[in-house]
This record gives sequence, structure tokens and C-alpha cells, in this order.
Amino acid sequence: MTRRLRHALLVLAALVAVGGGYALLVPAPQQATAQTGQTQIDQGRALYERACISCHGANLQGAPGRGPGLVGVGDAAVYFQVSTGRMPLARSEDRGYRKDPQPQFDPDTEQGRANLAALGAYIQANGGGPTTPAETGPELIGSDVAHGGELYRLNCASCHHFTGRGGILADGRYPPRLEAATPEQMYTAMLSGPMAMPVFSDRQLTPEEKKDIIAYVLAVRGQNNAPGGFTLGELGPAAEGLVAFVVGLVALVGVAAWIGARS
Amino acid sequence: MSTPREPTGPELERLSRSELVDLGHTLDGIRIVTDEPPPGSSDPRRERRNRRRVTLLLVLSLLAAGAFVGAYLFWPTGYVPPGAPGHTAHLLYTPLLGITFFGAVGALGAAMIVYVRSFYPDEVAVQHLEKGPSAERDRFTAAATFAEAGAHTGFGRRALIRRLGLTGLGVVGILGGLVAIGGLVRNPWKEGGDAPLWTTGWKPVGGETVFLRETTGDPTEIVKIRPEDVDPDGMVTVVPFRESERGDVEALHAAEMAPDNPVMLIRLPPGTRVDHLPRREDLHYGDYYAFSKVCTHLGCPASLYDTRLQVFLCPCHQSQFKITEGARPIFGPAARPLPQLPITVDADGFLVARGDFPDPVGPSFWEIGRGSH
Repeated sequence: MTRRLRHALLVLAALVAVGGGYALLVPAPQQATAQTGQTQIDQGRALYERACISCHGANLQGAPGRGPGLVGVGDAAVYFQVSTGRMPLARSEDRGYRKDPQPQFDPDTEQGRANLAALGAYIQANGGGPTTPAETGPELIGSDVAHGGELYRLNCASCHHFTGRGGILADGRYPPRLEAATPEQMYTAMLSGPMAMPVFSDRQLTPEEKKDIIAYVLAVRGQNNAPGGFTLGELGPAAEGLVAFVVGLVALVGVAAWIGARS
Repeated sequence: MSTPREPTGPELERLSRSELVDLGHTLDGIRIVTDEPPPGSSDPRRERRNRRRVTLLLVLSLLAAGAFVGAYLFWPTGYVPPGAPGHTAHLLYTPLLGITFFGAVGALGAAMIVYVRSFYPDEVAVQHLEKGPSAERDRFTAAATFAEAGAHTGFGRRALIRRLGLTGLGVVGILGGLVAIGGLVRNPWKEGGDAPLWTTGWKPVGGETVFLRETTGDPTEIVKIRPEDVDPDGMVTVVPFRESERGDVEALHAAEMAPDNPVMLIRLPPGTRVDHLPRREDLHYGDYYAFSKVCTHLGCPASLYDTRLQVFLCPCHQSQFKITEGARPIFGPAARPLPQLPITVDADGFLVARGDFPDPVGPSFWEIGRGSH
């Protein structure tokens, strides 16, 4: 009896030791370090007043000839424009092209992500609009690449080319290549319709369909589409035909000259 | 030219080959101007080298031909996706056929050229030819022969038979031509006002509601559109749909495939000012506008929607259609505005067409001014 009692006590002590040690050694679940609520909005306002205010105005109302109003654009638009480096503009012009983002808004750093979230929260608090998805990175990549390809060709390919190589627009502008776009950037672009791009609401293309489109873009830009060795810009048959015509014609002239030459 | 004496049979038998060739040249009025031996024929080393070269090329041609047949018969031809084993072999199939085939034909041709250039003598020959028509004697005799044939066979005398025969031949020829060409002749205006050039799949039939159906890539999927499905600055490509087509995969597919059916449904930002074209004031539904996707120049999909400039751009020839001016062409070769589809919302809140396009869809045609619709 005492033996069994002693055994039971030993087991109990061991359990307490293991449980207590686990509780002591394993850290508590990560707390979100970014501020939430009003603090975050205030931080975003401070960032806005340093980086954006000169063109978009003190109350997001925009400035004639310099920049559009931002009421109702949503934090999806903020994330896309700022994380791709399109905003702030390098110089005053009516179009922004992808460049390295400002270090304080670099989505590859924790500080950058926090600043993007704060700036987005400030814009979101003033008029709402489409929001950045809660998922990030791999969570935004769908599983049905083939379906994504169908949707991409129906909705995106007319401007961005069927393998995401970009194209042309009116007025000397062009839709960008999709080589460097991250899943978050593609997602927020579809939601917010930046620059000349149309908006694709979640009721028009569901979140799952957007993720499949992202999966397709990542799939086509990752693979070798040029088994012949030269990509020629991967622009399709026009470029390839021109090269075949020019190179082939020169080669044929050379062969004809060789046949006709007197040795 | 002096006419050579006609040699007799035994004389011909005695002549050597080169003498016979000379005789032939003389009879045909041919004169050899130069006859140089092939370059380097006096150098046995060079001759050996050329012979080796030709042999090598011929062997190469044979090997390549064998490789072509081998690759054609035995190389795996099935599709292998990227990343799977055998993908590289799959990519190589077509280039391999091309390279081996080019090797076989190219090496054979090169061998012929090298042979001609190294072993053929450099010979220039000139032949004397008469100018002008044949001799009068020849022309008269030829004409007489022809007339004689007509007289002998009786065709010259029997005019009725001759004419009937010729007419019969002509009729058979015309009939043959009709059979060959007749299949290509169609009357596009047989249906009058309902002729295909005037109408599209949006035309109401039997009073049935025509819904705007989103194209999703799946022809069996039916997605009707409500106004709230499209955000401002949004665009959806839609095709006509009738409830009687539900479950009829062929009809659904046909509606997607018909070239004049695709319509771009767009929602302009609230408050956008639109200068409507004449007769187009009430075709839209609020900020929702539906335009034919088919360019009025040559029929490409003019589907590059630039929300900043409010234009549709056609990628083929850069025609631009200003949406806020009723899709009027403002740049490029297109001459007519994109046709606009009259739309509204039905009792259940779905977008529906109120009728067919008032204007003909697609490239212009000769009879477009007739406007019989």
C-alpha cells in the first residue's frame, strides 16, 4: 500500500515538474507588436504627413494638378502603391512605376510592414475602401493553377500578356510586367485597381479565384518558357517571326553566295 | 554556219566518243568558248581532300537521316509538365526532329555543291539560235496539216456537229466551275432585317429575358450579374444567357464562342459625366455601361480598359474609344463608336439586356449605310 502510494506520489511529482518546466520554458504566444487602434492610426498620420501630404493634401482631399484625393481608396491601395515603390513618386508626374520602396516602407522588413499597416490604417479610417487581406505570402497562393490560368486569360491577359510580360496602353504608358510582384501586391492590385487598371471586387473574382490567379502568375513566371534558349522578351510569335525572318534571310543570302562563288 | 557533210553509217561507227560529241555540237550550232579543267585538278593532294569532303558529307547525311527516323519512331512524344522527370526530353522532341532532318537534307545538298565546285570543269558554251518566227515554209505546212486533219475527220464539213460539240464542252466546263465556286456563294441578306450582320445573340427571341452572364472559363457555370457585383472602375466580360439554356451545355458554349456576343460591362465611378451620342441617351443603367468588345475596325477584342483615361484600347491597331463620349473613336483606324447594348435590372435585381445592339457589331461593311434594322 505504502509502496503504491509512494509510486503515485513520485508520478505526481514528475508530472508537476514536467508541466511546470514546460510552462516556464516555452514562451507565451507571440503578442502582436504593431500597435492597434488609435495609436496605429496616429502613427500612420505621422507617416502620411511626412511622405504623402504634399501631393494628397492635409485631409486626403488631393491637390489639383499634383495628386488625387485618397478618401475611400482603402488600405489595399496604400499597400500596393507604397510597397511596390510607386508611391511616393520620385518626381512630379501623373504616373508611377515600380521601383525599390522607401526603406521605411520596405515590405521585407518588420518595421516596413508595421509602417505600411499604420499608413493603411490611417487611410482606412478616413473613408474606408478595399482592405488588405488578412492572409500573407503562401496563404495567398491558390491550389488550382489551371483555373487561375483560365481566369487570368479572361481578365488579365489582354493587358499583362498571357505570361505576365506586360504590354502597351494608350498615351505612352504600359501595364507592368508581373515578374517582381508579390502575392500581396497582386492581391491588393486586383482589389484596388491601381493606375489605369480596372477594379476586380471580391464579388466579381472571389478571394479563392484571386488566389488561383496569383498561383498561375507565380507558375508561369517561374518556369523556362523558352526551350530554344533565347527568350526574345517572351513576347510571342511577332518577335520570334521577325528574328527568324531576318536571321534566316541573311543565312540564305550567305548560302546562295557560297554556292555561286568560284573557288 | 556551214552545213557539215552528212556522215554515213560506217563512218559514224568509226568515230570516237569525243568526235561524236563535237559532231553533235556542230549540228546544234554549239561552240565551246572556254573549257578549263576543274581548279586544282593537277594537285592530287587537293583532289584527295575534296573527295574525302564529299564522302564525309554523304555519310553525315545518311547518319542524320537514320537519326531522324530513329527519333521519329522511338523518342517519347507525350506531354511532360515542368519539374517532372523527362521534361527536358519532352522539350527536345521537336528540335531533335528539326536538327536531324536539316542535317540529312543539308549535308546532301552541301555534298552536291562541294562535288560540283571541286570536280566539274569550268565550261562556257554558246549556241546559235535563229531570231524571229519559224521559216515561212514551216508555218504554211503546219497550218495545212491542221486543216487537213479537220477535213479528214469530217469536223470541218459537219458544222452542226462541230458547233454542238463545242457548245457541249463549254457547258460542261461552266457547270464544273459552278459546282466548284457555287458552294462559296452565300446570300448574307436572306433573313432581311434579321440577317446575321444586323443581329447578335443578344436579340430577344420569343420575349424571353436575356441576362448578362459572366464568362468564368467554365462553359457550364452560370453566373448572372447584379449591379453590386461590380465595383466602380470595374469591368466584367458578359455573354447573353436565357433561362431556357440552363443545362444545355452546347447552347451555353455557343453563346460564349459566338464572335459578336462578348460585351464589356463597366461601372463608371459615381458622378462621371458622360456625353452620350445621339440615340444612345438611355441605353445605360446608372453608372453601368455595356459596350461590344469587338473593335469596329477589324474585329479584335478592344478590351484594354484604361480606367484613368476612360478609354478602351484595341491592341491590334491602337484604336481608342472614349468611354465618357459614348465609346467614340478618338485615335487609330476605327471609324465607328463601339456599339452599346441597352441594359436594365429585372425584378430580381439581375442585369438584363433590353434588346439587341442598335448598331451593327464588328467591322463595317458596304451595306452598313442601309441600316435596315
